Amino acid sequence: MTQTNPSQPPLTEATRAVDSSDHGISKKGLSAGSVGLIGAIVIGISCIAPAYTLTAALGPTVSEVGTQVPAIILLGFIPMLLVAFGYRELNRRMPDSGTSFTWATRAFGPWIGWMAGWGLVAATILVLSNLAGIAVDFLFLAISQVVGNPEIAGIAANPFVNVVVCLLFMLGATTISYRDMQTTQKLQYWLVGFQVLVLVIFSGAALVEVANGNAFDATPIELSWFNPFAVSDFSALAAGLSLSIFIFWGWDVTLTMNEETKGSERTPGRAATLSVLIIVSLYLLISVSLISFAGVGDGEYGLGNPDIQDNVFFALAGPVLGPLAILVSLAVLTSSASSLQSTFVSPARTLLAMGHYGALPKKFAQVSPRFFTPGYATIVSAVVASVFYAVMRFVSENVLWDTITALGMMICFYYGITAFAAVWFFRRTWFRSVREFFFTLLFPLVGGVILSVLFFTTLIDSMDPDYGSGSAIGGVGLVFILGMVVLLTGVVIMIWQAIKRPAFFRGEVLSRASAD
Amino acid sequence: MTDVTIVVGYTANEAGADALALANRVASAAEALLEVVMILPSEARNALVPADAGYERYLREQSREWLAEASKHLGADVASKLHLRYAESYAEGLVAAAHEFGASLIVVGAAGGGLLGRSRIGSVANELLHSSDVPVVIAPAGSREVPASQGVTRVTACVGTRPGADALLESAIVLARATKAPLRLLSLVPIDLPHGLDPELVALTSTVHAEEVLDEARQALPDGIEATVETATGASIEDAVRALDWHSGELVLVGSSRLAAPRHLFLGSTAAKMLRELPVPMIVVPRTTRSS
Repeated sequence: MTQTNPSQPPLTEATRAVDSSDHGISKKGLSAGSVGLIGAIVIGISCIAPAYTLTAALGPTVSEVGTQVPAIILLGFIPMLLVAFGYRELNRRMPDSGTSFTWATRAFGPWIGWMAGWGLVAATILVLSNLAGIAVDFLFLAISQVVGNPEIAGIAANPFVNVVVCLLFMLGATTISYRDMQTTQKLQYWLVGFQVLVLVIFSGAALVEVANGNAFDATPIELSWFNPFAVSDFSALAAGLSLSIFIFWGWDVTLTMNEETKGSERTPGRAATLSVLIIVSLYLLISVSLISFAGVGDGEYGLGNPDIQDNVFFALAGPVLGPLAILVSLAVLTSSASSLQSTFVSPARTLLAMGHYGALPKKFAQVSPRFFTPGYATIVSAVVASVFYAVMRFVSENVLWDTITALGMMICFYYGITAFAAVWFFRRTWFRSVREFFFTLLFPLVGGVILSVLFFTTLIDSMDPDYGSGSAIGGVGLVFILGMVVLLTGVVIMIWQAIKRPAFFRGEVLSRASAD
Repeated sequence: MTDVTIVVGYTANEAGADALALANRVASAAEALLEVVMILPSEARNALVPADAGYERYLREQSREWLAEASKHLGADVASKLHLRYAESYAEGLVAAAHEFGASLIVVGAAGGGLLGRSRIGSVANELLHSSDVPVVIAPAGSREVPASQGVTRVTACVGTRPGADALLESAIVLARATKAPLRLLSLVPIDLPHGLDPELVALTSTVHAEEVLDEARQALPDGIEATVETATGASIEDAVRALDWHSGELVLVGSSRLAAPRHLFLGSTAAKMLRELPVPMIVVPRTTRSS
């Protein structure tokens, strides 16, 4: 199947007779003009889910780079932005539900393409289990705040209760996702607005406490916090960066919303810029204020305390906000819930594309005839994420922390491949214009190189049993084992599929191609 | 060919197959034009997940395949067209399609889980019954087992004294004429009275009343249309429905509730109970049809 234009395969004779009302599509389907500037910003922020992201990533990042978190946040944005440019070009040229899988297959052939798809699915499944885990903590915290009994928050630490509640969350999210239940745009605006507002209040309160001398470990704000060169060594910098890749993960969607954003051609660019400005300001505000409030020591509320690092808001909301701490719980809960829902979409769609192109069993390509969602793929993702969480909860001393670190590694892996895929796919058009030189060669190439360096550095460093949360099996760091198990499982399944379904792996379904 | 147009809301599952089979059978009997429509969710309603052009295209291709596959089950004598439409809700999309094609009937499937052969209203059909200004028929589960060759063997109009009866009668006449099926007028008056009345009084007044209503209805029939009349009796709607005889190729028409806004459907409690009990497809007709 060689096509001149990979983005638009010809319709089969059988389906050509269907009147699909092209005027209807432009009006309704992928409606040009359905999402305005604010809508696009809201989608962007809700996909990043800042409240969830920060409570999960701030602690592990502090443990790597200490007070230099703000510097890492600013720096971590750069590779993300560079790769996102390549992503946008690919999405424009070959829109496909398989995204990284399809693009990498087009550029580098079936084997690398398969692994890119696997990386994406693994990363999203890791984040699904982490999201649900965070949501469980905050559910119990919120209940304990409502009834005024702090002991209830501790129930979340019981692994059995924790796993059961987490599976219930997963079940709920799967149902919503399978049935494609939508929150209204208005509700979504309120939820995102609430989330941002609470984060601002939270940081403001922390700064006020510092000024009043009531802070736990008041640490004067210094300019060096913004200096990446103040980080002790390269390994710490790499580890911190791979975590900060995670905190911007999801932002790239605003860049790809080119077709359906309403108004002028500038809307998507402005939406992406504005949402990232909002996000970066929020991240900087919160990290600076919390470090200033709690310090990076390992005291009770210190951000360096391993007992609170996997979920810092959980520990700090009370000391900072007192009776208003419930707001933080609600913000993180709603943030995780929306993120759980939007995150479910991407592994399911990638698995669907893999099934469709014959890289996985055909069943994965099933679309629910009633809800028009990738039904089978959604359920498989949910089951794998649930099992993964349940196992990790018992294996790891600190499941949330380890999954976040492993997640950063997986994102670097598949985003790196995607960036290189963009570079290679557009190899014949690099020098056609200045724009193409930057967006299809320079930016994705530099982004891809940074991500690969981060990936390999993290992989090597994580062999150390003291890495991350300090969980280890047989003297090897759990994060390394986790990363290797995930990737090698991918390789094993790939070989198995190659034996069962050779057509895809011979490149007969998706041929290699390049833009010309 | 008559100028009747039927819109069928197709989904690639058993409910869709039921709807398609029923629509095919009616269209074949009425020589009507069949517009097979698949309603896809519009990405525009999505405030959480960014639209994905690739997935959108995948769904479109998949739906085209489904439609092409479905068209193989249509009779050779039925003039049909296949369409894809996008809408924020399924019901909204179907009503819009009915308007677009000037259809006089919308056919949808019932949600799964009803007792054998009986309709259970799903959320989609329910929304449709509350919003459509075009008559709607819900194909009971198992409609796909009824062969098209059976045609429409009888049209039963359930008449009461409520507003809407005129439109109902009119639709029943059009349908009976188009399908060349005999018409039966059925009075629901005896079972359609408020609860709590003295049963004997009900029996007395309602029987008399029923006769009057049926007489009136029969006189309203245009020349050349003959109709049999029958009165539903029984302690409950369930009993009454069971006591009557039903052809497997029959179509039943009921008017929408008096609570409905003019020219819109709304299923009254009597009709809702009938829908659960009836072994044959039931058409719900708005109080005033759109064209008249």
